[in-house]
Amino acid sequence: MHALFDHLNKMALTQVSSNKCAGGYQKVYEHESVELQCKMKFAVYLPPKAETDKCPVFYWLSGLTCTEQNFITKAGAQQAAADNGIIIVAPDTSPRGCGIEGEDESWDFGTGAGFYVDATEEPWKNNYRMYSYVTEELPKLINSNFAADPDRMSISGHSMGGHGALVCTLRNPGRYKTVSAFAPICNPIGCPWGQKAFAGYLGADKSTWEAYDATVLAASYDGPKLDILIDQGGDDQFLSSSQLLPDHLIAACSAKKIPVVFRRQPGYDHSYFFIYSFMSDHIKHHAKYLNA
Amino acid sequence: MWSYVGHIEWTSYRFRPAGSPPLGMDPLGSRGVLGVIEECFSAEEQEEADEGITVTRNQLQEKVVEMENFAGHLEEIFLTVEENFGRQEQHLEQHYNEVLQTLSQRYDQRAARLDLDKKSRLEVLYGQLLGCGRTMDSSKELIEAAQGVYRSQDRRLFLKAVMPTIQRIEEFAKEEMDLTLSTALEINTTEDDLSDVKTMMDSISVVPAPSAPVINPQMANSATQTSLRVRWNLFSDDTVEFYELFYRPVLEDLPADNTHGTDVCKVKVKETHCRVTDLLPNAQYELWVMATNTTGISPASEKALYMTVPSPPAIKERGCSSCPEAALIRWDSGNNNPVDSYTVEITEMDTHGAQCGAAEAIVAVPSCQCLIQLQQDRRYMVTVRAVNIGGPSEKSHPLGVSTTGTLFHLLEDTAHPCLSISEDGFTMFYGDEELPLSALAFDDNNFARCVAVLGDLLPVRGQHYWEVAVDDYTEFRVGVAYEDTNRNAYLGATNTSWCMRHILTPTRHKYEFLHDGWSPDLRITVNPMRIGVALDYDGGTLSFYNVELEQHLYTFHCCFQSYVHPCFALDNPGGLTVHNGVEAPGYTRN
Repeated sequence: MHALFDHLNKMALTQVSSNKCAGGYQKVYEHESVELQCKMKFAVYLPPKAETDKCPVFYWLSGLTCTEQNFITKAGAQQAAADNGIIIVAPDTSPRGCGIEGEDESWDFGTGAGFYVDATEEPWKNNYRMYSYVTEELPKLINSNFAADPDRMSISGHSMGGHGALVCTLRNPGRYKTVSAFAPICNPIGCPWGQKAFAGYLGADKSTWEAYDATVLAASYDGPKLDILIDQGGDDQFLSSSQLLPDHLIAACSAKKIPVVFRRQPGYDHSYFFIYSFMSDHIKHHAKYLNA
Repeated sequence: MWSYVGHIEWTSYRFRPAGSPPLGMDPLGSRGVLGVIEECFSAEEQEEADEGITVTRNQLQEKVVEMENFAGHLEEIFLTVEENFGRQEQHLEQHYNEVLQTLSQRYDQRAARLDLDKKSRLEVLYGQLLGCGRTMDSSKELIEAAQGVYRSQDRRLFLKAVMPTIQRIEEFAKEEMDLTLSTALEINTTEDDLSDVKTMMDSISVVPAPSAPVINPQMANSATQTSLRVRWNLFSDDTVEFYELFYRPVLEDLPADNTHGTDVCKVKVKETHCRVTDLLPNAQYELWVMATNTTGISPASEKALYMTVPSPPAIKERGCSSCPEAALIRWDSGNNNPVDSYTVEITEMDTHGAQCGAAEAIVAVPSCQCLIQLQQDRRYMVTVRAVNIGGPSEKSHPLGVSTTGTLFHLLEDTAHPCLSISEDGFTMFYGDEELPLSALAFDDNNFARCVAVLGDLLPVRGQHYWEVAVDDYTEFRVGVAYEDTNRNAYLGATNTSWCMRHILTPTRHKYEFLHDGWSPDLRITVNPMRIGVALDYDGGTLSFYNVELEQHLYTFHCCFQSYVHPCFALDNPGGLTVHNGVEAPGYTRN
């Protein structure tokens, strides 16, 4: 009973901020997360249409070092979301203030670097469950508290968030109407970031890593037809330092006939300036499926 | 007119007052006549009288009108009769004048002849007279000589002279005396041939030859492709036994007044109209009429120009294209010579192929093509007629038009010589065989380097969609281009064309989206077998899709300066097929 009340209490949301934007509202909420065992913030953009109708939901997963703020202040997605009647939900990138030793040591592991996995290794496994948070807890929260259509959702992200979006989609065939990514980490098993994070969260057995690697998952994907849009900056330093490895994903998708349109954008880097430049193309891509 | 009889009915009306007014010192007094009359009658009597007055007045008025009409008719008759008599008088006067003139001419001629005759005879006689005089003189001289000899005293002289003198006398006596008159005394009066005068006299009482008839101008809708209906009128009240209608085609190289050419045809009719058949379509004919009666033939009427209706045009199916809101129809004139205009008729059809709604017509189309505004997702039947002053031709064979999707045909005269096009006109092949140089005929319009072909122009704003079926092994270029795109360049290499390009490398398939030689860097994991091309003139976009996956591949953002043609090219031997007239799928629309 106590747990139940606790659970119910923890379903409650507290509004942190609300700003009118593009005719709708950009809000930030806080809640007690069950999966992550801590207070978590997330951002929600409610388009004008949400006042009268249930809207589809676009989930955005941010990259290393980000919070729920980066996307809502830098990506410039609100206008397109308003125009297409789409709710955008942008969670944080990891649990915060858990007091785990070493969580703040690196910018690419621990705080701000949840890698959207359910950790199995101590001391991370109690709190670092971003995969379940994103795929289970958060949608339930959104669907009960906002004018969201539970049957229409899609997912996208940048860098580590791109990896998260691809993994969530490939592991949950049919759940997301579509997926797209900006400079995603396509093959974490094969790059320094991913090797560091998986070793820490999942342990030494590399076979357990495969469940969170988009390239591996694509090779064995068996589900409804996908339509993946990926934009990659041509002058992205992390591309040239082999952290992102898009060619591996492309090869796997070509072999498995998973439809991907991968666009290399010359001159663009890894920053939100790059995301801002192509965000409307991505929203349009999502709208095609969310509003179909 | 002559037998008009006017008929007038006269009825006499008289007022019969009910009673007479009382007479007194002042029979009328200040009341006046009407006042008196009023007083004498009761109200009903007055009313009755009033009614009677009104009725009578109306009748009188009618009669007056009738009289006026009658008077008018009489006047007309009078005028006509006067005119007719006047004409007859003129006619007779003219005739008699002619007769008199002829007679006087004859008289003069005759008198002149006689004069001449007289003169010549007198001359002859005078000559004769002179001859006689001379003879007399010489015989007188002889006698005097003989007498002289006789009287001569000198016997010797006498003997000397007597014999020659006797001889002379004897000779003289032997001479024949021609005492006949060298000319006859009688004057030969040859009978003058006065038969023509007689004819003229006879004809005075006979009906005159007709005057030239008046040929009517061509009536609307009276001509067909091979016949003309010609009408004419009698001039006044001529008597006519039959008419002869002459006609000939007006050809450019014959002089206009060639009325005696061998191509003049003649028709004999009794009525004042005739249908002339066996004519050429869209041809001008010159016609004139002559009327004949027992007296003679009238002069020719004025020449009228009639035109037969043109032959129907033939719609060029491969030259027509359509899109959701319009159709471009092109046709062959069907006539060697120009026509005035064309009329395009459009009828909407329902799903069973039956007509629904009224037919619409677009008239005065000046050239052999027409862009028609239509409604989306309907079926129509289109026919064309050629029109000249004779009227419209028969309808052409119909063309079915569907406004679902955009339909166009390939412009085969833009095709590179190595490109061959299937019979249905929608599949193209780049054959393996090397063609001999002689077969590579290039002109200004076809592609010379890129093995390409253009589709028909899309001349309507809005959105257009078509699909192209390709295969993995064929390197192709598919997109749009301006009409004047360089025929010596490759599609996508210039700023006048935009295309999706498929390249085969040893390791992988490469896709480019080319314009002005530039392409974005794109990777596609599933090779499209069927490409959807969506053109939006207003939005300034050209988009490509993988139709089977409903996947968007790329969109050009352009600002089209003018209408474009779909374009297709093959960079290696292979083929592709164009599928059009399909509705743009939902995912391709904004």
